[in-house]
Amino acid sequence: MDTLPYPLNPRLPPHCTIVPPYLLVRLAKLDGPRFAQAAAAARQSLLRDSQIRQLRGGGRPFAYSGARTLPTRTPGEFDRTISDAGGQERLPGRRVRAEGQAPGSDPAVNEAYDGLGSTQTLFWSQFGRDSVDGSGLPLDATVHYGKQYDNAFWDGERMVFGDGDGEVFNRFTISLSVIGHELTHGVTQFTANLEYRGQSGALNESISDVFGALVEQHARKQSTAEASWLIGKGLFTDQVEGEALRSMKAPGTAYNDDVLGKDPQPASMAGYVETEDDNGGVHLNSGIPNRAFFLVAESLGGNAWETPGRIWYDTLTGTGLDRRSNFAAFAAATADTAARLYGNSSTAHDAVLQAWATVGVVAASPAPALTQPTLPTPPAPAQPPE
Amino acid sequence: MKVIVSRSGGMAGIRLTWEVQVEEQPDPILWTEFLNSLPWDEVTDSEATPDRFAYRIRCAPHEVVLAEQEMNGPWRDLVNRVRAANGM
Repeated sequence: MDTLPYPLNPRLPPHCTIVPPYLLVRLAKLDGPRFAQAAAAARQSLLRDSQIRQLRGGGRPFAYSGARTLPTRTPGEFDRTISDAGGQERLPGRRVRAEGQAPGSDPAVNEAYDGLGSTQTLFWSQFGRDSVDGSGLPLDATVHYGKQYDNAFWDGERMVFGDGDGEVFNRFTISLSVIGHELTHGVTQFTANLEYRGQSGALNESISDVFGALVEQHARKQSTAEASWLIGKGLFTDQVEGEALRSMKAPGTAYNDDVLGKDPQPASMAGYVETEDDNGGVHLNSGIPNRAFFLVAESLGGNAWETPGRIWYDTLTGTGLDRRSNFAAFAAATADTAARLYGNSSTAHDAVLQAWATVGVVAASPAPALTQPTLPTPPAPAQPPE
Repeated sequence: MKVIVSRSGGMAGIRLTWEVQVEEQPDPILWTEFLNSLPWDEVTDSEATPDRFAYRIRCAPHEVVLAEQEMNGPWRDLVNRVRAANGM
């Protein structure tokens, strides 16, 4: 049968038809050149259907992930591809390493590949999350993006890493917490989708720092007491006076350099920075919820990816947040999650309440009942010195 | 006439600023012509994207904020010129 009947023949014009999803799945898995077109068409249909279901359900934004998501795959299985932009600013670049291929001589490629694996391992083994979208989205990354590019980012579909300028920044794959940070932006995109401005943007940033740190700690089997709680350690060259980009344990202390100045992150609401730059200071005020997470971990001891990580993960993926949630709303949501998971007035619940009080997001007060998740109004932020 | 370019954001969240005093440049007339040719009034707001740079460009009476993804054409040329004038 060389000619497939309409509507499965992709050469025939598209039309609104109903093909049962189970049939599309079977067709999508067909092997061999004889069925290649039918399989490809079925995969396209499944992808379109998935997008439509997302839209109808008002779900999270759907990033096109390519047909590789659909063939049989064991949940949690790695599916990594690293590409090389060769110093250009064009994506994705030339594919240089696919899943299962041995390491090569390029440290950026190897670090990106391993970092994606460590991130997938944390989210799958500890939280049962299969990739950033929860549905096995292939993890793709591009290294050597741009010339002396001092940045790394998640573009909605893939990780992108610059090489740094060599004077202030080393290559951005050098830090596992940076890789975890960027992929977590993908997780946030598919879950709470916090707006990247002001306090919701600072929460978006903080969540990336939290899980970036947890990826590193989990991979290195470091307890809360053993971990550095630094984000981007090793990213600065030897010419910079600084340990890392940010310190979750002591925000504002990560660097103090003649050229870069002093780490401007506040450690509590008393130092909250009002600014128009950086989308309202998302990388500055993230220090406040960062420290709150550290304080919870410090209070509970042990491994931070366990109880503290579970509370933050369930909050991020639950229903207690909206796109514009602020610090107080996030604090209330984490307290509610801790009470639901571990009990009202449990050690974990108390640790969460105490942490948010310490950083000034909520006023110190007796623990609210589970049925009253709304926490006291936070104090007004101080105006920063100009 | 002064041109000030501030780059904020990026994964590092470090703010860097570069300035140029046009009258002190070896080719101030060319600088002025170039600055006057920029599409200052055509810049529109765009949704912020995590960890991308944001550029604030000021040259009185103008002030615009551009996302990194919009840093193309004459704007990219401007930033490169300002950075070059600062030895970057």
